[in-house]
This record gives sequence, structure tokens and C-alpha cells, in this order.
Amino acid sequence: MNPEAVAIAVFLFTYALVVSERIHRAVAAMFGASIVLFLRIMPWEKVPKYLDLNTLFLLMGMMIIVNTARNSGLFEYVAIKTAKLARGSPIRVLLLFSVVTAIVSSVLDNVTTVLLLTPMLLYISRLMDLNPVPFLLSEIFASNIGGTATLIGDPPNIMIGSAAKLSFNEFLINMGPIAAVDLVVTVLIIYLAYNNVLKVTPKKKVMIKQTLRGLDEKAAIKDIRLFRKSVAIIMFVVALFFIHDKLGIEPAVVALLGASLILLWTREDPEGIFEKIEWPALFFFGGLFLIVGALEETGTIARVAEWVLAHVHTQGQALLAITWFSAFSSAIVDNIPLTAAMIPLIKHMGASMNVYPLWWALSLGACLGGNGTAIGASANVVVIGIAEREGIRMTFADFLKVGMVIMVITVAIGVGILWVRYIGW
Amino acid sequence: MGLFSSLIQRKFKNIAGKRYERILREYREFLLTEEEMVLPEIKSILIPLDRFISEIPKEVYETLSAYKEAKFVLVYIIDAQVFHMIEQTLGREASEEFRKKEESDGMYLLEKIAKDFEELGIAPQLRLFFGDKSEDVITLAEKHDMLVLSKAYGSEITKTHPLSPIVLKIVQHVTIPVIVY
Repeated sequence: MNPEAVAIAVFLFTYALVVSERIHRAVAAMFGASIVLFLRIMPWEKVPKYLDLNTLFLLMGMMIIVNTARNSGLFEYVAIKTAKLARGSPIRVLLLFSVVTAIVSSVLDNVTTVLLLTPMLLYISRLMDLNPVPFLLSEIFASNIGGTATLIGDPPNIMIGSAAKLSFNEFLINMGPIAAVDLVVTVLIIYLAYNNVLKVTPKKKVMIKQTLRGLDEKAAIKDIRLFRKSVAIIMFVVALFFIHDKLGIEPAVVALLGASLILLWTREDPEGIFEKIEWPALFFFGGLFLIVGALEETGTIARVAEWVLAHVHTQGQALLAITWFSAFSSAIVDNIPLTAAMIPLIKHMGASMNVYPLWWALSLGACLGGNGTAIGASANVVVIGIAEREGIRMTFADFLKVGMVIMVITVAIGVGILWVRYIGW
Repeated sequence: MGLFSSLIQRKFKNIAGKRYERILREYREFLLTEEEMVLPEIKSILIPLDRFISEIPKEVYETLSAYKEAKFVLVYIIDAQVFHMIEQTLGREASEEFRKKEESDGMYLLEKIAKDFEELGIAPQLRLFFGDKSEDVITLAEKHDMLVLSKAYGSEITKTHPLSPIVLKIVQHVTIPVIVY
């Protein structure tokens, strides 16, 4: 039995299952990991080396914080407040919801963000009697773009940050400006594409304003003390992320500290909160780490890295290759398994070139590539899934027409900024 | 369901789990639905009464006082089936005694409650008849815009329920807003 062939087969088989989603992706990843462990392709004693605890605990900590804060009605409050600020204007709704989605996504995970904001967005588009598709599309794109901006915004960034020891501030400095420019461009494209349908009569606007005025954002707050404490803890955690590298602590420690503090201070039932942790997502990550670890163990990753280095001679070429490869791959495959596979590859390339810019290239491609197709990112699937449940049809081709344009333009802008910064004119 | 649609729903289920249903439930608690945006017009209110009701709580009067322009109908229903059972088993004299007592109790309750409504500036119509406590209310409700029911309406003497089975049956069949006190 050739261990390398088995590791590759397990890797491809698992990825095929993840793409088809015939079996839950967490189960597929766990099964693949079990196979490589059973066959000792991945020796048991090396499991701690490959199981990226920084990523797993960072995700877990943030899940605890978000689930505790959710009990206060904080996110519904934000959604209603945003809807009211839009004052019945479709353009304002488009703009405000895009900005709020991007900001929330930069701190929380994209799935939670869109799950919480989409019902409000659908409600307001029904109120305006307008086609909700442009609003939903801008929400999807804004969520993926917002997640690109920070270390904690999107799982690929958490994985990249952990593997390359990149700080929160480094992400903000390198990816923040790209995300900001991309967000402006995306909203502009959506506006230009759907300008003719984003109109309401003055009479209708007055009616919408009246209905929105009747909505009380304070009614969404279930527990004002929990609400205040949640806001304070989230602000504290974000502030700590800004200085974690100066304090010499890992981002996962910041998240776990925030999680324990919020549980201690709010006295929320820990059992209920722990039950809400997305364990399938954590097992999915754990399984993938071991499956990709098996490829590393058998030397497959090193060989692929050698092949890449034989064909890519300069940093500029590597930057372009990694960005566009990960962008188009992310549009088809889930960006988490893609990032899991790309990280060791870039690490191996580090022996022959400065790979620092390549981490940003991977982040850019993996996060924004998801905008390309309806199944490219979790946020896309969730929003389209909700829309379908509410009777709004968005086909694969409908999404592809807009998504691919947005993906190519936003990635091109990002790669341009990275090129100017790291390669020069 | 197409291939794309089923893939999206599978992925949605795997990614979001039951979180969306939870969020939607929470939103519904304070977000107006499309139906709620149009307030129903209440022109006529039906208030069924029987021997198991002794009064209407103060809070219900307060709520109903918001509909002063509406027509209020207080209807006391005596179970016709019970009357016939008494007649068949205990004889005509006993059934007549039952009828007189029920009619007298019914009129007393109707007048007492009517007086409380009059204090609020509402003059209700009064009715008393023998009939079926659930079927007659369901039929009468078709001509009214709101139904106000005591949870004890139509109770059984030998059993105690937090909500009378008759009330449950009525609530399941009527299509107008119902206040259960």
C-alpha cells in the first residue's frame, strides 16, 4: 500500500463529499481523518502538531461570545436600527445594510451575520414592495468582503493567521483597505446594475417610514443588563485583539478570555451556551487539518511545492498564481478545505522565497473567491437558502452572472493593491 | 426540486442547522407581519356566557373599552342536551325546575355584566337560549368580528381543566380574533 496514494485518495474523496454535501461535511472530514489515522498514515503522536488548536479555540471562543450576546437581542437591535436609519429609501437600505453587514462580518462569523440580518432585509424589501434580490446579493458580497478585512472575520483568515503567526493589526493593515475599496466598488456595481428597480413612489416612502417608525428596536432587547454586558465584552475583546501581539498572546487566548469573562459576568447558563457551539464546524476543521496533515506527512505537499516553484520564478508570479488559483478554486470548493491545503504549500515555498505577501494573496483569493458562485461561500448558501424558503428564486446562473463579475473585479483590485505594496510599480 | 435547489437546501441545513428557525421565531416576537400591518376592523363583539362563569375580569373590560364603537352581544347559553337528559331521566317537573333556575341565573349574570359594561359607556345586547355551547358559538361567531371567551366556558362539573375542552374546540374552529380570559 502506497501511503502517499492513499493520503491523496482520502483527500480527494473527502473534498468530493464536501462539494456534493451528500454527507454532512463534518462527517466526511471526520471519516477521512479516521482513515488516515487508522492506516497510520498520520501517526497518532503527530496529531497535536497538525490539529491547529489556535484556530479551533479561536472559533470556539468567538462562538461562545456570539451565542451569549445573542440571548440579549443585540443583533436584532442592530438590524432594526439599521432598517430605521434607512428611512424607506431603497438606496439607503442597500448602502446601510451592506456597510453594517461588512462591519459585523469583520468581527463575527459570516454565517451568523447573514442569518441575523437577512430576515430584516427581507422584511424591509417586502415593505418597500421591491425585488429583494439586489439587497440579498449586496448582503452576500458585503459579508464576504467584510470577513476579509480582519483576522477573525472569516475562517480562512483565522487559519492563515494561526499558521503564519500574523497579528490582528497586520490583517487590518493589509486586508482592511482592500476590503474597504472592494465594498465601495461592489455596492456601486449593484446599484448600477439594479438602479431601475430600486425605486419607490413618494407616497409609498411615507407609508414605509410610518411602519418603520412603529418598529421599536428596544423591544428586541430581551435583557438590558445582558445587552450592556455583551456590548462591553465584545468591545473589550476587539480592543484586546488590537494589542494581542504586543502582549505576546495568541488570538485564541483573547477569544477564550472573552468567552470566559462573558459567561462569568452575565451568569448565563453555560450548558445552554455550550450546546449552541457549532461543534460540526469544529469537527470539520479538525478532520481537515488531519487529512491535509497526512499529505504533508507523506511528502505530497512538498512535491507540489517543488513543482510550483519550478514553474513560478518570482514573488510577483507567485502572488498572481496564488491569488487567482485560490479565488477560482474557492468559487467551486469550500474555502476552508482549500485554505487548509494551501497553507502547508505556501509554508514549503518559504524555503525559496519571501512568502509574507503570499499569505495576503491566499486570504484575498480564499475569502473573495467565495463571491464567484452560489456555493462558493457559506454566506451565499445561507442567504440563497433563506430566500428559497421565503419563495424567492435565485438560480445558479443568476448568481454566477453577478457573482463572477464582482469576484473578478474585487480580487483584481486587491491583487493590484498587494502588487503595489509588495512588488512595486 | 431542481439539482441546484436541493444542493443549496442540503448545504443550508448542514451550515445553519436549526439556527434560522430560532432566529425567525425571535424576530416574529416583535416584528410586525404583513397581516398585522393592517389592523382588523372590529364592529361586533360576541361574549358567550354560561353557568360556569361568575364575572368578567377588570382587565378584560379595560381591553374591550377600546372598542366602544362596536356592537357588544352577551349571550347566555343553557345546554339543551342536559335539559333533555334531565327530562328523560328525572321527569318533566325536575327539568322545568332546572330550566327556571338556569334562566333566572342566566338573566342575573347577563344583567350584572351588562351593568358593568354600561358603566364604561357600552350598551350590550342580551340573549339567552337553550342550545349547543360549542356549535352555536361557532355559528354565531361568523357574524361577529371578535370573540371573548372565559377559559371556564362549557366546563365539565366532574373534571377540571386549565382550559375547557369546549373553549379549545371553539378556538380551533373560528376565524376571528379571540380573547380568552
